[in-house]
Amino acid sequence: MRTRNLLAAIGKTVAVVAMLFWSLFPIVFIVMSSLKPGQDIFAVPPRYVFEPTFEHYVSLWQQWGAFFDGLLNSTIITAGATVIAIAGSTFAGYVYSRNSSRMLDASVLFLIVVRLIPPIVVTLPLFPIVNVLGLNDTHAIMMVLYATFFVSLGTVLMRTFIDQIPRELDEAAEIDGAGRLTVLRRVIVPLAAPGILAVAVFVVVFAWNEYLFAFIFTSTRAKTAPLVISEMIGSIDGVDWGILFAASTVQLAPVLLFVVFMNRYLVAGLTAGATKG
Amino acid sequence: MNDRNIIALSRRGFLGTALGGIAALATQPSWAASKTLNVLSHKVHQTVLGADGGDLLADWKASNDADVFWTTFDSNPLQDRLFREASLGSTDYSVGYMIDNRPTSEIAALFEPLDDYLASDPIEDFQDIAPGLVDGMTVDGKLIGIPVRHATQGLFYNEELLQEAGIDAPPTTLEELVEQARKLTFTSSAGTPVVGMVLASDLAVFPVMFARAFGGDFITGDFQLMPDKDAMVKGLTVLREMFEAGALPRSYATTRNDDQVTWLQQGRAAFTVLPFARNAQLNNPEQSKYPGKIKAVEFPISAELKGKMPMSSIVEAWAMVIPKNAADKDLAWNFIKEVSSKRATLGMALNGNGPVRVSTYAEPDLVAKNPLAEVEAAVLANARGAFPPFPEAARAQGIMLEEVQLAVLGRKPVAEAVDAIVERVTPLMPA
Repeated sequence: MRTRNLLAAIGKTVAVVAMLFWSLFPIVFIVMSSLKPGQDIFAVPPRYVFEPTFEHYVSLWQQWGAFFDGLLNSTIITAGATVIAIAGSTFAGYVYSRNSSRMLDASVLFLIVVRLIPPIVVTLPLFPIVNVLGLNDTHAIMMVLYATFFVSLGTVLMRTFIDQIPRELDEAAEIDGAGRLTVLRRVIVPLAAPGILAVAVFVVVFAWNEYLFAFIFTSTRAKTAPLVISEMIGSIDGVDWGILFAASTVQLAPVLLFVVFMNRYLVAGLTAGATKG
Repeated sequence: MNDRNIIALSRRGFLGTALGGIAALATQPSWAASKTLNVLSHKVHQTVLGADGGDLLADWKASNDADVFWTTFDSNPLQDRLFREASLGSTDYSVGYMIDNRPTSEIAALFEPLDDYLASDPIEDFQDIAPGLVDGMTVDGKLIGIPVRHATQGLFYNEELLQEAGIDAPPTTLEELVEQARKLTFTSSAGTPVVGMVLASDLAVFPVMFARAFGGDFITGDFQLMPDKDAMVKGLTVLREMFEAGALPRSYATTRNDDQVTWLQQGRAAFTVLPFARNAQLNNPEQSKYPGKIKAVEFPISAELKGKMPMSSIVEAWAMVIPKNAADKDLAWNFIKEVSSKRATLGMALNGNGPVRVSTYAEPDLVAKNPLAEVEAAVLANARGAFPPFPEAARAQGIMLEEVQLAVLGRKPVAEAVDAIVERVTPLMPA
């Protein structure tokens, strides 16, 4: 029995270590490489002990000003898309949770089907339309696109969350004279905050890293950081790996910190309703 | 008690501020140049016009009261975006940069023919621009792009590793190259395992170069598919034998273009084939363990053809084009003329651009700065593209690379792989 427990413990430890290595190695490699002298990045055998240098970060600042413009654009677009997606998902989730009709139930299926459509299918026909509307290369179109792509999933998530809030609380507020909007604002939103944060994490991670929409719909004014990184990779004069890894680290850091900080809400959001009968 | 936040802003105040702001934005402050030229390009094209030596377009901008606004993308996304912009009813971009293996008849029809512009408002000494590059941008008899940059392939070698192996000079025939590559598959004095040669397996450039060393080709400029199958068989057999001997990496199937650079910089390979323009990066002391020791020569032809015909290396060129739906075509042509001038061509070359003018290679400033100028000029004289553009070119290249990999890795006899290329690519060829 003791041997079996010991083997199980060893097995679990090995599995956890393997998973950690699998997940963390690329991140550690990128961050370490951004701090290595250029000659040592791909040295054989690899050098794990080295004198760190910030020369690649300095070069990134000096040679790729567009990357920092891209970061600013990414921040604006991500923030806007998150606000729109949260607002849309919360309103829609509330409606789906508190109302029922044949049409409404059927439209849930539509929300899921929309999510299954490959993005490329909608982006290319949208390009000439967005162009005619004069919205090409604007923050607004990127916010709307990213938010639209996540409102469906966010709505389903928020509905599940709001379903767990007792309807009696709505009714009590209504007896006290609260209208629907007040109930939503004063009762539902505070109690569904973990769900809102879970939706926010999804949208932030998606919008911050997204490439395809940004490539199709931006040029200069709304160009996001992933597009600039792709230019670094595709340099026809040769890739400067140190600068590329420095840019990747700068791009990775905010979203990584955000996700780590929000992790417990994300788990709570994803498991919402999991035990509902 | 009222716990709501009160914002002291009246509706009238809000509307007034908003309308005032919109009006201020609409008036567009007048400190900018009166004209703006939007250019769609790779970042390198912008950099070579402005790095180190200042803005090469400063005088042009001043005399035309114009500013240049660059939108840059990586190569393939750039081409995709350029063709999409040119397909719209109108585009803000008046100049685009196009790679010479893209303009099929359908694509060329989206861009302004430049022959009339050239006749009425000529480019300075246009005949000086390498004719092969001009031909590459002439589609259905119409000139649709003015060449601005080229990348011609050369054979790079690590001089220190050659000396360590007792080799005094780089190869002058393909057979010598194979022999030296075998000899250089060893462990260097630094303790690094070295392979004789590193080549990317996902680019048609390399098998085509080996076939050309025996007088063959993949697809010729006049769309003949593999006019000399024996030459292709010989070329691929050489690659196969090098792989068998360990003179190509075991990871050949997954080796990419960037690996070629890092392997040479790290002393893990003795030879590779790259554009001459990579010389600066390969010898960059901040990245390379062998700064100043990596040299380049022309890729050698086979012994049987040496002295009988020149080696035709592969060149890829970029050209400036004007979309037919562009707003300001005259300003666009004016810009193209300026960038194509002898002064700008030299300035760009000093900033690392592959100059398209033959005369630029003789400029003392360039000769002093670029040790490969002379050899690059000689190779460029006989160089041509890997294959001409046609609608199914990407699929044809994919098939070729698939069969080449099978042959080199020994999973298919070379002759059988060559037959398969012909059989599978034939239906894709233009009628």
